[in-house]
Amino acid sequence: MAKFNAEVIIEGKKNARDPEGETIMRDLMIKHGYDMVSSVRSGKILKITLEAKNEKEAEDICWNMVNELRIYNPVAHVCTIKMVK
Amino acid sequence: MTQETVLRDEINLTKEEKEVVYKTLNREPTIPEAAMLEVMNSEHCSYKSSRPVLPKLPTEGPRVICGPGEDAGVVDIGDGLALVFKLESHNHPSALDPFNGAATGIGGIIRDILCMGARPIGLLDSFRLGDLSDPHTKWLLKWVTKGVGDYGNCVGISNAGGDIEFDPSFQINCLINVGCFGVMRKDDLALSRATTPGDKLILLGGSTGRDGIGGASFASKNITEDSESDRGAVQIGDPYMKKLIIEATLEAIKAGVVEGLKDLGAAGVTCSISETADAGGTGTEIQLEKIRIREDDMEPWEILVSESQERMFFVVKPDNVKKISKIFDKYELPYEILGEVTDTGKCVVKYRDQTIVDLPAHLLTKPPAADRKATYPKYLNKLNQKWLPKEPKDNELNDICRKIMASDNMISREWVYRQYDTEVGLHSVVKSGQADAGVFRLSEFGTKKGIAVTFDGNSNQCYLDPYNGGAGIMMEACSNVAAVGAEPIAMTDCLNFGNPEHPQVFWTFEKVVEGLADAAKALGVPCVGGNVSFYNHDEVRDVAVKPSPVIFVAGLLDDVEKAVNNSFKSPEEFIILIGDTNTEIGGSEYTKVIHSSDDGQVPKVDFANAKNVLKKVVKAVNEGLVTSSHDISKGGLFVALTEMAMAGNLGFKVGLKRIPADTQRSDIKLFSETHGRFLMTAKQEDMDKLISIFAEDEIPASYIGSVTKEKKLIIENDENQVIVELSIEDIKHVWDTRMEEEMEGKK
Repeated sequence: MAKFNAEVIIEGKKNARDPEGETIMRDLMIKHGYDMVSSVRSGKILKITLEAKNEKEAEDICWNMVNELRIYNPVAHVCTIKMVK
Repeated sequence: MTQETVLRDEINLTKEEKEVVYKTLNREPTIPEAAMLEVMNSEHCSYKSSRPVLPKLPTEGPRVICGPGEDAGVVDIGDGLALVFKLESHNHPSALDPFNGAATGIGGIIRDILCMGARPIGLLDSFRLGDLSDPHTKWLLKWVTKGVGDYGNCVGISNAGGDIEFDPSFQINCLINVGCFGVMRKDDLALSRATTPGDKLILLGGSTGRDGIGGASFASKNITEDSESDRGAVQIGDPYMKKLIIEATLEAIKAGVVEGLKDLGAAGVTCSISETADAGGTGTEIQLEKIRIREDDMEPWEILVSESQERMFFVVKPDNVKKISKIFDKYELPYEILGEVTDTGKCVVKYRDQTIVDLPAHLLTKPPAADRKATYPKYLNKLNQKWLPKEPKDNELNDICRKIMASDNMISREWVYRQYDTEVGLHSVVKSGQADAGVFRLSEFGTKKGIAVTFDGNSNQCYLDPYNGGAGIMMEACSNVAAVGAEPIAMTDCLNFGNPEHPQVFWTFEKVVEGLADAAKALGVPCVGGNVSFYNHDEVRDVAVKPSPVIFVAGLLDDVEKAVNNSFKSPEEFIILIGDTNTEIGGSEYTKVIHSSDDGQVPKVDFANAKNVLKKVVKAVNEGLVTSSHDISKGGLFVALTEMAMAGNLGFKVGLKRIPADTQRSDIKLFSETHGRFLMTAKQEDMDKLISIFAEDEIPASYIGSVTKEKKLIIENDENQVIVELSIEDIKHVWDTRMEEEMEGKK
């Protein structure tokens, strides 16, 4: 068994509204002079450390976990999992 | 118009609908026109199945200012004020994405109140979900609660109450209904109409994306699988923007610069430009490219039918455009002038110098009704209304009582409502969980009057006996507001049913509406609005949801300080039971939980006396003769008594002998759900006065026992033997903690 690090990224679907990102862009960045910014999207990242036989198994465990525990809703979100060093 | 048109075979309309369209137009519709016609002919927008049935409901009354047809019902509450309220479903979006579905449901219902010109002050919610122990139910409950709570809490409107039922028929197709009410000065009333040609049309608020676009049939052939997942994205609410929209809209109305106002919900811009034109006897013309879009590649038809949240549509005199712009600018809200009112009776949409839509407004707003067949449902033949369970032995009753109090539909809903802000705005006097109805003070509006609000539904009784079930929920909801001391003044409904094209489903719809209508007439409570949600059908198991009307009844208190809640106040006070008890246990908690049966007589409303009973209850409360009051509903007498005891942390001792009933059976006296019954407590010295109020009209008011200091629930049978003896702690523990344990795990 070895330790692996995974990053689970959950974000809204590409064309769904993102009031949080819009507000950060409109009321923070643009208002304070960063008017070159034209899009901000917010999301959530979970950095997970877990034990598994190999990287493939670690990634599979993460996918099973986020699906079974409904950590994201496939109807509303896009979830990506990256294995990192 | 030389542009791509939609052929007759490709447009998703019924034969009758197509005939009307082609006869009126004498040509093929363009793609945007077809999309607009499809969405306005949909069940959701056109009410085509329900429209022939709904006129059964009484809609007139001395207080009614706006009945069905506007975005929300408006009733006169005196002192120059009006109450605006509405109840709506958000079932399908919530079943797919419970958080955003429920949140945008709240957002939508707030807009309905706002667009009449009222300040929204309270929210209610009703959930119908599968069995509580099921993991999918828990997932739905967790997120719909969070959706309602987050949106309501952020926008600063407090929760006033609600209603939750668990039943396997809602396993996949949950029902999420939300309500809102608001108050305004009568002269601030804004209507969804454009009456004067030349007036400007302004769209305020969020940008327009592909939110909530159902795949229009002719367009879907071009959608690849990849883009399918991006299309019709779930609607995402933005309560902070909504708060700004509320304030800007109310300020514009106060400034007298709003001629017409409409919120954008189902069918978006299409609905706004057609309904305001048709209602005002005018036409509308807009430039589509003025609308701010969120996605570069949106087709014109998509912009026209998008259901993006947080948008409002204003009709403004040209001279006032500057003034209203100033108000919108102050709140930093984006807006654009889309076009103007015309005198053509048509909705015209121009896009890049081309006319892409040219339709008579009435073609969009008045589509033909559908002729639905109704047949008596087969399942009803199997029911035995005369059925009675074997009488339980006296020593079994303690356990039966425990089981009922621990059942899905009886346990405390505190886990849900404690996630809601019930204080914001300082309007709430009686809050969630404290009584049968929420009570709100109106001191902000300069009156000592109060508003009582309640939601009610009983899908099990409406399934077993649609007529009596429908009448029953009307009686029950009116009893809820009467119990706190308010006179029921108006109702609005949300009728959740399966597929109306199934004659057996449609029969239940017709009967429920008949029941509701007869009870509403008997009680003198008009229906001022409503919403119908059909096609609540579980595709996985191929079953329709149980017929689930939910109604919202509003009541008025002349003096909000007179309202009472349902908790026992002090030992030795007398407990009075109002009304007779009949052998009516069909669809009751007792029959369902203990006997797992669908048989038995569903409670019937006593139409002749219903109104009088409520009047007397209101009078008793308002004369200050009662210290607590509770109407008897789901679970019957035992549950009502126990709720009062738990709320006051005091016990009771009650004798069944004193209960006027058509039976000697203890179980039926304890668990029958006969309507029109109330429990009240009174000080000993007020007893005679209290009883005489009811005696005037020969309404039974029976002393059945007393509140006790000892925290025990004690019930004696007809022979004065103790048959139920439970400690409050024993009963309260499971009742209190079960939902929390189901949702959060055992502590």
